[in-house]
Amino acid sequence: MKRIVLQSLGLGLVVVLLLAACAPAATPAVEPTKMPEEAQPAPTQPPAETVTLVVWDQYARDVESEVMNQINKEFEQAHPGVKIERVVKSFDDLKTTIKLALGQPDGPDVAQVNQGQDMVAIVAGDLLLPLDDYAAKYKWREIFPESLNSRNSATATGFGQGNLYGMSVTAEFVGVYYNKGKFEKYGWKLPATFDEFTKLLADIKAAGEIPITFGDLDGWPGIHMFSSVQHVLVDVDYINNFTYGLNNVSFDIPENREAAKIVQGWAKDGYFTDGFMGIGYDDSLKIYKSGQGALMITGTWAAGEFVTDTDQKFGNFLMPQKTPDTPQLAIGGVGLPFCIRKGSKNADLAAEYINFLVSPRAAQLWAEKGILPAAPLPADYKVEEGTLLADQVAAWNTLLKSNGVGHYIDWATLTMYDTLNAELQKLFAGETTPEQFTAAVQADYAKR
Amino acid sequence: MNKKYHWPGESRFLGYLYILPGLVIYLLFVLYPVLETVRTSFYRWDGFTVNRTFIGLQNYRQLLIDHQFLQALSHNLIFIVFYSIIPIILGIILASLLGRRRLPGMTFFRAGLFLPQVISMVVVGVMWRWIFNPVFGPLNAFLKLVGLNSLARPWLGDFTLALPSVGIIGTWVMYGFCMVLFLAGMQRIPEDYYEAAELDGANEIQQLRYITLPSLRPEFGVALITTIIAALRVFDLVYVLTRGGPGDRTLVVAFLVYRAAFQQNRIGYAAAVATVLTLIILLISFLILRFQSRSEE
Repeated sequence: MKRIVLQSLGLGLVVVLLLAACAPAATPAVEPTKMPEEAQPAPTQPPAETVTLVVWDQYARDVESEVMNQINKEFEQAHPGVKIERVVKSFDDLKTTIKLALGQPDGPDVAQVNQGQDMVAIVAGDLLLPLDDYAAKYKWREIFPESLNSRNSATATGFGQGNLYGMSVTAEFVGVYYNKGKFEKYGWKLPATFDEFTKLLADIKAAGEIPITFGDLDGWPGIHMFSSVQHVLVDVDYINNFTYGLNNVSFDIPENREAAKIVQGWAKDGYFTDGFMGIGYDDSLKIYKSGQGALMITGTWAAGEFVTDTDQKFGNFLMPQKTPDTPQLAIGGVGLPFCIRKGSKNADLAAEYINFLVSPRAAQLWAEKGILPAAPLPADYKVEEGTLLADQVAAWNTLLKSNGVGHYIDWATLTMYDTLNAELQKLFAGETTPEQFTAAVQADYAKR
Repeated sequence: MNKKYHWPGESRFLGYLYILPGLVIYLLFVLYPVLETVRTSFYRWDGFTVNRTFIGLQNYRQLLIDHQFLQALSHNLIFIVFYSIIPIILGIILASLLGRRRLPGMTFFRAGLFLPQVISMVVVGVMWRWIFNPVFGPLNAFLKLVGLNSLARPWLGDFTLALPSVGIIGTWVMYGFCMVLFLAGMQRIPEDYYEAAELDGANEIQQLRYITLPSLRPEFGVALITTIIAALRVFDLVYVLTRGGPGDRTLVVAFLVYRAAFQQNRIGYAAAVATVLTLIILLISFLILRFQSRSEE
């Protein structure tokens, strides 16, 4: 009998413990939240008012993460009593967790938020602080042209307009990488127009080389391939309208059909890596840096990959336009903006922090590690000539001058990414015609 | 007290106390989420804001005309061939080869053939993605080596071959499980049956057909249910290998749930798809169990 009583007691204890363990998870909002200041007794230092700023970012790769740590260190040094608590997440991880985190009373003070429909949904949930007042105070609108600020602006129903909600620190665009060794060997010249580019592809093919290294197993690289050509054929207003869902533009237009026809032609003519439909994106980068393929059309984020563990030398140029005087337009954008959570007790400090993130000093820290910053570099800072980064800084400046930073068209609606992936795979494999492709995408776009 | 209802051993009430910890965990982490999913399927909800609207059966109505859902479901049904039927056939062949004789190194073969079942599906996916790679993957390299260049394909990106390519990996993962299940079952069959059959002049095939197969009926039931469930809820392989592509050729229902919930912020619709998938799995499992218990009578 005694044994049974003891057992029951033990079991009861287990149950109580289990319930106790579950309780906070079930009611997170009720749990009283301690302010970080109180939680920091700082035994060795005199307890000056230490403020902890919680920052969530997605610069998770080694080099990027190092730069962020350095930036945070310099900010802390310039602001005694401020401690930055950095939380690093991968992009996918951030994308799925940030919405819930921003709704918590002890959520991050500053966080990177994905642009487009993600930001719209979060703004609709009233979780972000509009930054327009801070933008006026710190003159942020002078750092970027309005076309870039509008990417970080949103309303509860759409993006591209409305309040400014964040500032970006890195820039990216989709350009053409070229293998310098091969260009030297065969005497190919960098093309100045799109016709010259097409002719170059034929020359490369005739020389027995693979013109474009490409892998479309993951789907999304196909969007960049198609849209790079699309950005040559349409103008910036069309791309803005389509992406922001303004002025009732359609996807089913002659320019898009033409772009589809061109890239399908490249596939048919064998201009892509053999078996490209079965090659993943990361593998295609490895194939290209091993020296297979003369060109590769992809974003600036791949630059780091092309300067490490390879004996090849690469350069970068923007996809040439129809004529040399056509204003340059290319797929591009700025990295995920840093935003402030509505309800953060440290909003002023958070704004001060964001202001440091977009300073010339921070831009230089990025550039020193070969990463393209969004903000201007210090006037006296020179990027080493002949490097991949020098090509990309020059190209980015060209795009800023021509107001030609285009868009990732899959931002347009929440389903556009999946639809474009699938429809472009069909197009590349010759399963559909360019006409069927544009019609299918428009059918999905019209549902928005 | 209570002498009238006294059963031998400890009191009955205590039995419930024993299962209480398990029951609490089950209720909290299995039953509650399942019911919550079913409830969510009647709402329109983006998953994180308070804007949650009751829309009745609208998600289910939409699902019936969603051609992607029907296509995905048809792919899951095709996967039953690869995840269930072929592995069971392979499993019974291997089990009868390994089970009746004492081979030197038996344990090695048994463990080796079971190995694919042990590896995490994500690792399996990454590995096969490499095997299928058209540029540096060993499969095409082998085909080219033996002069079969014309058979080399971008396997996972080929509109006709992508689905069977993903399916074959399922076969590779599941056959070891079926084999071990059948091997275990065969240990139960008394050796006398085979001796008697041999004396009567039955050959190995006849022994398999009249002794082994009928004796393994319960194992067939378990193998069918487990592998069919696996075929219907494939997610990890498709996520790692093809993300549903090329086009929609390898789209499966579970991937559709993921896409609707986490990429398109349509939690209500995702919950409806998940609920229908669960009902289909329950129905098929029920039918197999019914069929099995009836044929045992």
